[in-house]
Amino acid sequence: MMPERNDAVTARLHPFTALTAAACTAVITTAAASWPLSITVALAAAVLAVRCGAARQVLAAAAVILVPLLLSLLVLHGLFFPEGHTVLAQWGPARVTAEGLGFALEVGTRTTACVLVLLLFSFTVSVPDLLAALAARKIPPQFGFVVASTLTLLPAVARRLDRIRQAQETRGMVVRGGLLARLGALRLQMVPLVLALMDDAGSRAQALEARGFGSPGPRTSYRDVADPPLQRHLRVAALVLTAAAFTARIVASWPAGGTA
Amino acid sequence: MTAAVGTALQARVDAFTFHGENTPALCDVAISVLPGCLTAVLGGSGSGKSTLGKLLAGWLRAGHAGQLRGSLELDGTRLDFRGLPEDPRINPAEWSRRVAFVPQDAAAMLSTVRATVAEELAFGLENRAVPRKDMLRAVEHTAARTGLTGLLARDPATLSGGELRRLAVACAVIAEPDILILDEPLASLDAAGAAQIRELVRSLCHAGSSTTPTGTATGNPTGVVLLSQSADTLAREATHWTVLDGGTVTATGTPAQLLGSAELERAGVLQPGAPGSGALHSDALDTGAGARGRSSAGGLRPGPAPLELCRVAFGYGHEPRRRGVPPEEQVLRRVLQDLDLAVRPGEIIAVTGPNGAGKSTLLRHFNGLLRPSEGDVRVCGRSITGVPVGTVAASVGLLFQHPRDQLFERTALREAAFGLRQLVGKAQAEGRARAALAAVGLSTADEAVHPAELSASQQRLLALATVLAREPAVLALDEPTVGLDRRGLERLGQAVAAAAARGTAVVLVTHDLAYARATAHRVLVLDGGSLRDV
Repeated sequence: MMPERNDAVTARLHPFTALTAAACTAVITTAAASWPLSITVALAAAVLAVRCGAARQVLAAAAVILVPLLLSLLVLHGLFFPEGHTVLAQWGPARVTAEGLGFALEVGTRTTACVLVLLLFSFTVSVPDLLAALAARKIPPQFGFVVASTLTLLPAVARRLDRIRQAQETRGMVVRGGLLARLGALRLQMVPLVLALMDDAGSRAQALEARGFGSPGPRTSYRDVADPPLQRHLRVAALVLTAAAFTARIVASWPAGGTA
Repeated sequence: MTAAVGTALQARVDAFTFHGENTPALCDVAISVLPGCLTAVLGGSGSGKSTLGKLLAGWLRAGHAGQLRGSLELDGTRLDFRGLPEDPRINPAEWSRRVAFVPQDAAAMLSTVRATVAEELAFGLENRAVPRKDMLRAVEHTAARTGLTGLLARDPATLSGGELRRLAVACAVIAEPDILILDEPLASLDAAGAAQIRELVRSLCHAGSSTTPTGTATGNPTGVVLLSQSADTLAREATHWTVLDGGTVTATGTPAQLLGSAELERAGVLQPGAPGSGALHSDALDTGAGARGRSSAGGLRPGPAPLELCRVAFGYGHEPRRRGVPPEEQVLRRVLQDLDLAVRPGEIIAVTGPNGAGKSTLLRHFNGLLRPSEGDVRVCGRSITGVPVGTVAASVGLLFQHPRDQLFERTALREAAFGLRQLVGKAQAEGRARAALAAVGLSTADEAVHPAELSASQQRLLALATVLAREPAVLALDEPTVGLDRRGLERLGQAVAAAAARGTAVVLVTHDLAYARATAHRVLVLDGGSLRDV
């Protein structure tokens, strides 16, 4: 059973505030293009994830996305950066240049910061609150359902996989610790997983339809998500700040782009 | 929202054939539901009850799911179906506003995107734009009627089987339908839960004496259709019975006329008094304490206990990190505490207890799917601490509460054969699997069928076969009687007796005290985390 996450920080935040904060941070970090800022943002996101009790999920998902990306950045720009002058080492056509490494660092830290911030949001946002907030803004519930299903898909798949694994273990399948053994076990679970998910979806669709989910017309919401004025002002301020940062970045790089 | 006069539903199914099938699933079935009346459709497993229920409720739509010839008449409006493209089409949302259905698999009723029981209850009302203050009142009222008041803040994914069923019924009732169709509503409910559902059905039929969920006294009595394979206490309250066998009606009449009839017997319906006729006999919980039926239980065998639990403790879930609170105080729900149990070879022990008491949790400790926080589990004299589940599985067979949690293969035969090769070798594996399938009454024709296409009763028997095929020293069965018709129960009884005769230690969890008494050497109740004799 997964531990319930009830984080004091996100529990007080309206989902739109959290979303705005995450999106604005990502945009500003990208616009600033400064690796010290990127690293600071990434560290802050990691610390917040730990404090929210979501560190494991956020860091694991981030690792899956970032490790291949960072490695490819390093290979691509660290070894083959045409504008690089300061050669640190050379093997045939591959040259390690200071500029190349700097560029890889720049892009790598920026991507890391953005990915961490957005993952932090998706793993800590209260999905029911987000759904209720979307419904309150007259967003079609089907859209909300897709968002919610996407956010809850991984945990749902994990739960289902867990059940299949339990059923298989109960009938003598021994799952050992090694990576290869785990992958081998996973191979046995894939077909049952897909079939089970499809079967679930089929029976769920009938129930959803019967409960009026697909019907057009207005809707109400049982869940009441508080949206204090302070948070609304904060969201506006964050958006203005982001727009300013974006504009500043464009203005700053315009002459350079023009002369180039 | 509701009509001024009660709505009657009348259906005539000349034939209903699923797409891709040659033989009709239903043939020559007529049923009429009157407001304020409880009508029961009784039949064995695979008799077509669920198909009929879904057809009446618009869950299976003519043209969409299959070809229907016949008619549906709701509140004087008659829809005729001739199995042609120009047949009328049912809007499922509009139809189920009037005719609600609670499926056999309660979990299928839930939206899965709501965080609490209260919000899940309100889901259908939200979609119909019921004002929030009315929803709050309706949720409170419906929860009180279905015994969910204490669970409103819980995550639906964490409910026990019985709690989930009450939630599914509540989700249908809250929308104030004119007709309510309940498919095996008492399955896996404890005595208190079953009594609550019976009381709810009575109050729905006699509406007017009580206020409706939204507090308005419309007083429209609901017509309730009960689909059941057991002539249980709820079914016996019905004014009219329809007996379904092989997709067609074999008898109709009042309970008094049909009880004990040959048609009921042939259809495989459980008759009152028979063990396995549900939690309905658990009113007997208070009577005859200490009486232990051993009618079908054989003699015990000498020898060391294949299964021993010593001072086992277990709790679910930890609160999120809180500063200054030591970890041992952060356990949210302690389920097992100081629990001792020893089962001898050939001994059959039945464990009962209310929904959510931790019975399934207890069984999952036998093979290590759950590990105790304190104490020790010993299988065949050896502690299983640190031993992988797959290894323990050679000695412990576990039948899960929900067959769908147990079944994952493509065909019934592959299902029963899974893992057998490692256990008994390639040469014997298939033979063993076939023998196990035959032992639970699954035919050679069923061997190639996908488990999901079997009826609920057959699915449970298949799950049982997968466990029996391994001939374990310890057999743990979680609610094995639920969803079984009379024939299925007979097969189960024979299988359990045969296993015990071979010296297998059997522990079965059940709400059905009559079944427990008739089958087991000892009946224990799980209460407050530990076991005591009933």
